[in-house]
Amino acid sequence: MLSRNAQGLYWISRYLERAQHGCRLLADQLQTLEDRPVEEIDQTWRRLYASLDREPVGGSLESNLDDENFMLADSYTLADDLTFESSNRDSILSCIATARENARQVRNVISKDMWYCLNVAYLKLSKVGIADIWDDRPGDFYLHAEDTIRTFSGIVDSTVYRDDGWHFIQLGRFVERVQLLAALIEAQITVFPLNEAHIESEWLSLLQVCEARSTFSRRYSLEYQPVNVINFLVSDLRLSRSIRYALARIVVALERVSEKRPAQEARRLAGHMAAYIDFDWPRHDLNDTDATRTVLQELRDTSRKVHENIETTYFEYEIEDTPGA
Amino acid sequence: MRGKRARFVTPVFTINYNSLTEKNLPGVNPVKSASLFSGYKVNPAFYDEMFSATGVPREHCKALWEHLGEMSSADIAALQERTEQSFLHEGITFSVYGDESAQERIIPIDLLPRVLDAGEWQLIEHGLHQRLRALNLFLADIYAQEPAQVLGDGIVPADLVYGCPQYRVQMRGLQVPLGIHVFLCGTDLVRTHDGFMVLEDNLRVPSGVSYMLANRRALKTSMRNLFRRHRVCGIEQYGKLLRKTLAEFAPAGVADPCIVLLTPGIYNSAYYEHMFLAREMGVELVQGKDLLVHNGFVYMRTTEGLRRVDVIYRRIDDDYIDPLAFRQDSRLGTPGLFYAYRMGNVAIANAPGTGVADDKSLYAYVPDIIRYYLNEEPLLANVETHLCREPEGLEYTLDNLEQLIVKVVGGSGGYGMLVGPQASANERAAYAAEIRKNPANYVSQPTLDLSCAPCLTHEGAAPRHVDLRPFVLCGQEPRLVPGAFCRVALRPGSLVVNSSQGGGGKDLWVLPP
Repeated sequence: MLSRNAQGLYWISRYLERAQHGCRLLADQLQTLEDRPVEEIDQTWRRLYASLDREPVGGSLESNLDDENFMLADSYTLADDLTFESSNRDSILSCIATARENARQVRNVISKDMWYCLNVAYLKLSKVGIADIWDDRPGDFYLHAEDTIRTFSGIVDSTVYRDDGWHFIQLGRFVERVQLLAALIEAQITVFPLNEAHIESEWLSLLQVCEARSTFSRRYSLEYQPVNVINFLVSDLRLSRSIRYALARIVVALERVSEKRPAQEARRLAGHMAAYIDFDWPRHDLNDTDATRTVLQELRDTSRKVHENIETTYFEYEIEDTPGA
Repeated sequence: MRGKRARFVTPVFTINYNSLTEKNLPGVNPVKSASLFSGYKVNPAFYDEMFSATGVPREHCKALWEHLGEMSSADIAALQERTEQSFLHEGITFSVYGDESAQERIIPIDLLPRVLDAGEWQLIEHGLHQRLRALNLFLADIYAQEPAQVLGDGIVPADLVYGCPQYRVQMRGLQVPLGIHVFLCGTDLVRTHDGFMVLEDNLRVPSGVSYMLANRRALKTSMRNLFRRHRVCGIEQYGKLLRKTLAEFAPAGVADPCIVLLTPGIYNSAYYEHMFLAREMGVELVQGKDLLVHNGFVYMRTTEGLRRVDVIYRRIDDDYIDPLAFRQDSRLGTPGLFYAYRMGNVAIANAPGTGVADDKSLYAYVPDIIRYYLNEEPLLANVETHLCREPEGLEYTLDNLEQLIVKVVGGSGGYGMLVGPQASANERAAYAAEIRKNPANYVSQPTLDLSCAPCLTHEGAAPRHVDLRPFVLCGQEPRLVPGAFCRVALRPGSLVVNSSQGGGGKDLWVLPP
C-alpha cells in the first residue's frame, strides 16, 4: 500500500476516535448541567479540559461559584470551543473536517460508502453552530454526531478489504484510544484525588464516558469505588474502551501489518505496555495519586513512541540501501 | 477573411404542437405532457440540436422528445435538484481559482441529454483520429534530432515552434515510447449551421472525462426509463481503455507494468477527476512526494518498501513534474523524474512539451499540418483565426474587436479572454492596449453561432449554447468511446461554456447505426 494512503487511513481513524471521544465527553458534561451543583459542573469542566491538554479560552474556568448564571453562560462558550471552534484543532468539527480532508486524499482506496458517510456528516455539521443546538437538548446533538461516527465504523467493518489499509485503520483508532483514556483517567485523579473522599457521581460519569457503566455495575457493584473504576478502565481485556483492550488490538495489528517491514520498536513497546498492565499494574495499591499519575503518564509517553515508530517505519522512512529493481 | 454577420434579425418560431402527432399514453394529460417544451422557441440563427428551424424534432431526437414530453417540468426539476444534491454528497466538485469563498462547487448538470446520430459521430471519430495522428507526427518531427521537416518546408513558421513557451528543448532527440507524444487528447468541438468545427485541441492534461462518466451515471440513476426505451452507445469502458492504452507505453520487457496517476493533490481544481480515474483504472493515485528516483528508476514509497513505477499518467503541468529538469521551485514534482524518462525506464503520458501543438497560434496551421503529413483534407474544419503576431491579423482584430473573441495564446479554461460583443467599450479599449503591448500573445476568432440544445430552466425547456469535448486515446491504435463531456452555457445567450465561467454539463448520447 502506498505510504501516503496508509497514513491517510491511520489519521482518519485517529481523528474520528478523537471526535467520538469529544462527543461522549460533552454529552455527559451537558447532562450535569441539568441537576448537579455548580461546584461539580465546574470540576467536571476542569477534568474535561485537563484531559484534552487544553486551556479554556480566556481562563474562564476561574469562575464565580456563587453566580449560577455565569457558569451556565460559561458552559455555552466552553461547549462551543470544544465543538465548533475552528482554531481548536481538536474540536469535534475540526476533527471531522480533518478526517474528511484525509479521506479526500485517499478516496480512491476507501469505499464509496465510507466517503459518502463522512462527507455528508461534515457538510451537515459545518452548517450548524452552538446557538442552533443549545436551546433544545444539546446533548442530543452529540449523541447524533456520535451515531454518525459509529455508522462510519460499521461501514469500515463491513466494506474494508483486510489488507494493510485495514490494519492502519485499527492502529489509528487504538493508538488514539490509549492516549485519550490515559489522559482522561489522569485528569480524573488530578481533579478528584484518590486519597480524598470521593463523590460517586464523578466516577459514574467517568464510566459513562467510557461506555462502561452498566458493565461495571454488573461485574462489580453499585459502589463506584475509584480504585475499581480505574482498574476496570485500565486493565480489563474485555472492555472495548479500556487501555488494555486497545493495546491488545495494537499488538495484533502490528503483527499483521506489512510482514516484510515489521515496526520492531512499536511492537516491543506495545507488548511491553500490555505485559506491564497484566503483571505489574499496582491494582490494589492505587491510592497514591501521584504514583498512579506517573504510571499513566508513562503509558501516554510510550504510546506516543509507538505512534512515532509507526510513522518512521511506514509513512516517512528514509531510503538507505539500494532498492531491488 | 470575414465572418458572416446576420444574427438576431431572423424571426423566431415556436414549436407547433398541434401539427405533431404524439403518442398519448393512457392517463397522461396531453397538456401537461407538452408542458416541458411548450415555451421552447427555436432561434433559426443557431443550429438547434433537437429541432429543425421550423420547430419539428429531428428524426433521431423524436423518441427522446416524445418521452421527455410525457414528464412535466416540475418532475424533471425535482430530479435535477436531487441529482445535484447527490453530486455534492459524492463530492463531484471542482475548485475555482481566485474564489476563496466557494472552495468546492459542483458542475451543474442539465438532465436533458444531447443526442448525436451514428453518422454524425462517425464523422467526429474519423476527424479526431485524423487530427491526432497528424499532431503526433508533427510533434515527433519538431522534437526529432534532425532539423524539423515541417519547418524546413515552410509549412509552419519556425519561430512559432521554437519561440513558443511550451516548447521543451529538453525533449529534443528523445525517443518517446511508441513514437507517440499525445496519448490522450480532449478536443473541443462546436457545431454551427456549417457543421462541426474544432475550437481547440487540448494536448497537455485535458480534463473533463469524469464529468462525461458522472453525467451518464447520474442520468441512468435518475431517468432509468429513458435508457430502457432508447439504445444508447455505452461509455463505461473508458477506464478500461485508458488503462489498456497506458500499459502499451510501458518500458520494454515489463509484462505487468505498474501504472500510477500523478496528481498535484486535493487542492487542484480537477482532483475529483484524478481520484475518479485512478479508481476506475484500479491504479494508485500518487503525488510527487510519493515518488523518488533511484539509479535512474522511479519508485513509489509503500508500506512494504519501494515499488518500481513503469508508467505515469501525469495530471501535472510540464513545468512542475521535475524541479531538476523544469521549474526549480516546483514542490509538486519529483526530482530526477525526467532523467528516468530520458533513460527509457519510465513512461510519462502525455509527454512533456506537447503544449507547443495546442498553442492557439499554431492552431491556425493545423489544417496545413494535416495536409502535409497525411496528404488528406481535414475532415473537421477549423474556426477562422486571426493571428495578432501578423500585421494584417492585428489590424483586423483591433478594427473589429466588438465582433470578435480574443484569446491569450498560452491560456486555457477561458481565463483572460475577451468576448467582444459582450464587453463594454472601456473593457475593449483596455484589452486593445494589452494586445498592442504584446500582439504575439493574442489571436482572435469570430463569435461563432454555437448550436443550441434544450436545457431545463425555471420556465421549462429553453435553448442554451453547447459544445462537446470527446476524449481520444492513442496507443498502439486510436480509441474513442462514443461519448463526450458536453458543456452548456447555462446563462441565457452566453457563449462561454467553461466550467470556471458558469458553464454546466449534460449527457451526450451517441445512437448506434
